[in-house]
Amino acid sequence: MTTAQRSHHRTARPGSSPAPLARRRRRSLDARLLYVLPAAAVLAVLAAFPLVQLVRMSVSAVTSATLSTNWAFVGLSNFVKSWQQGDTPAALLNTLVFVVIVTALGLVGGFAAAVALRANTKASAILLGLMVFVWALPPVVNGSVWKFLLGDNGLFNSVFHLFGASSFPFLYDTRFALLSVALVNSWAIIPFNALVFRAAILGIPEEVYEAAQLDGASPWQEIRHIMMAAVRPTTLVLAVLTIVYAFRSFDFIYVMTYGGPGKATNTLPFLGYLQAFVRYDFGLGSSTAIIAVLFVIVLAVVYARSVRKEELD
Amino acid sequence: MAFTAEPHQPGRRRRRPRLRLALVAGAVAATAGLILSGCSGSGGSSTAGGSNTLTVWHYFSDPNQVKVMTDFAALFEKDNAGVTVKNVYVPYDQMDQKLIASAGAKTGPDVVVFNGADASNLALSGTLAPMDSQWSSFADKGQFPSSVIHKLNGKTYAVQGYVNLLGLWYNKDILDAAGVTPPTTLDQLDSAMAKVKAAGKSGITLSGLPNSQGEWQAYPWLTAAGFDLAKPSTSALTAGFSRVAGWVDKGYLSKESTTWDQTVPFQKFAAGDVAFAENGNWQIGTAKSTAKFHYGVVPLPLGSKGKVYLGGEGEGIGAFSKNKDLAWKYLQATYYSSKGQLIALKDSGTIPARADTAADSAVTGDPLIKPFAESVSKMGANYPGTKVPPASVANQQLAGGQAWSSVLGGSQSPSAAAAAYKQQLDQLLSAK
Repeated sequence: MTTAQRSHHRTARPGSSPAPLARRRRRSLDARLLYVLPAAAVLAVLAAFPLVQLVRMSVSAVTSATLSTNWAFVGLSNFVKSWQQGDTPAALLNTLVFVVIVTALGLVGGFAAAVALRANTKASAILLGLMVFVWALPPVVNGSVWKFLLGDNGLFNSVFHLFGASSFPFLYDTRFALLSVALVNSWAIIPFNALVFRAAILGIPEEVYEAAQLDGASPWQEIRHIMMAAVRPTTLVLAVLTIVYAFRSFDFIYVMTYGGPGKATNTLPFLGYLQAFVRYDFGLGSSTAIIAVLFVIVLAVVYARSVRKEELD
Repeated sequence: MAFTAEPHQPGRRRRRPRLRLALVAGAVAATAGLILSGCSGSGGSSTAGGSNTLTVWHYFSDPNQVKVMTDFAALFEKDNAGVTVKNVYVPYDQMDQKLIASAGAKTGPDVVVFNGADASNLALSGTLAPMDSQWSSFADKGQFPSSVIHKLNGKTYAVQGYVNLLGLWYNKDILDAAGVTPPTTLDQLDSAMAKVKAAGKSGITLSGLPNSQGEWQAYPWLTAAGFDLAKPSTSALTAGFSRVAGWVDKGYLSKESTTWDQTVPFQKFAAGDVAFAENGNWQIGTAKSTAKFHYGVVPLPLGSKGKVYLGGEGEGIGAFSKNKDLAWKYLQATYYSSKGQLIALKDSGTIPARADTAADSAVTGDPLIKPFAESVSKMGANYPGTKVPPASVANQQLAGGQAWSSVLGGSQSPSAAAAAYKQQLDQLLSAK
């Protein structure tokens, strides 16, 4: 809108009384709310309703036999039962280990890839395209390929065999199975993190680098004091997204280990799946899913508070 | 979402925390949705077709097993002009979930071909229609043994047209080179594996996946050591687990088996470097098309106590089928007919459930089918075990599979896995 137009509006308004103006504003607000309604309705149906149902299920006795009938309220007994069976504490620990590995490697790897690919060259464009492809691959496909690669006759062990080493038990040794799946999960999130970090790095004005170079900054100092400083807000947001991603930790485990050997790679989402869709105890499965959701909410609140505090300081 | 490094703008200072909070709220909502989606059935129930379309849900992806479905469709369509049989593939792991979800929406297929072991669970969840009236008036019902008829609370919900079971596949070339014959006892099996291992070959492949497939594969070895599902004993379980753990320790069996479903170990066997495979009759087609060596099958060498589950697919009528009469007609003409069972035998090597068809020369004259047919009568066991309460079947199978997997993977000793499994069984067997 030009200045001339704005002044025209101003000259037209003095005659209007305040009451009609307020009414018009209210009407305008009402109209805007109407536009929000479809999105709100979709959210209510697809997000709020399932969440309410999940909470209801977690405090009810729901099996395949009672799924379509009234659910008997059982209080917290599903939570207690899962804890007493020993499944929840072990899965919680596995989930935490998994989240720490995926978040750390996802962020460090993403940033490293972004720094390496910040140059606007043909090679980096091709590599970025490949990374988008990897990121867009369905986890089931990704997991199946990695299961093959990490097998006794897979690529990695074949290379080990060339050097006379024996097979490394990536996926079937209790000590390494969770670590291997976490590494693959990290590998799958690195492209997304790299793309976001790269966007942040490309937003740094060229003059900043030139000034740094004039001051004799080394490449590492440029990374440390310019790029890392510039991507700090991005990192905080990405950290939350990566933690959320790691908390899902279902698809790759389902395809690569099915929670095994034994229960060694059971995480909260996979345990919830086993309880709800293998044992058909939907109440038990919902209680496990609730724990996972609560955990993320706690993390998110802690994160939000720390960000707010930082902003106010 | 602003991901770029922005210069400091005082005017926007107060709004940034809100933006962050909004992002966090979005992330939490996304997590909740994602966790839920990870734990929810993917839906996709298909409504039963019109009066001339018969929808059949199955989980077969193996070409030989898919051929059975297409041959059955062709057979039925040929004899019933104007009728279209629509075979719908549902992944094995999703079949029960989808059936339960569709029953909740009062819809579903006309005919369901499912894992027979899940019959109780599916009947409990109201996905199958009772078929007592049809079955009681079926002229050939006397041909079917009681072990293939799935009942719950006195009502018949499904019948198996054939059985699948495990046998011991062997690579004749490897055994000949090692100078051993196909084993008939466990000691002979141990001795044979020691010899082929010394000759640089692998001993055996089987599935150690921590689910129902693992439990199905563990059962023969456990029962051979005296394990009885009706009266589980820790010592028998320990003995059974110890024997197979010993195979892992001696290098006869790879720990990698804990990541294999039942298809992968047979592919490993068919590749030619493994002497034995504990696998089923449904692999006959794969063996014929893939194996480039001489091979054969003998009954699993389990001694006098050993048992083999009689598995296979149950066939039933969907609870919300709009074509129940046509569905029954289809089952009669295909799975329950002698002609249909011979088609399944020819296509995928399944063992006919009908007594008259099991005596057919196609069964008794086939050297690969015959050992399986002998096992049915000599060591066949109901699957799932008759003493396992219907509501506990899924739990028992998962618990058994996880114990088996933990022993093969080495995360639990045989005695620890046996004690834990026994404790779970005691609870599950006494559940109502």
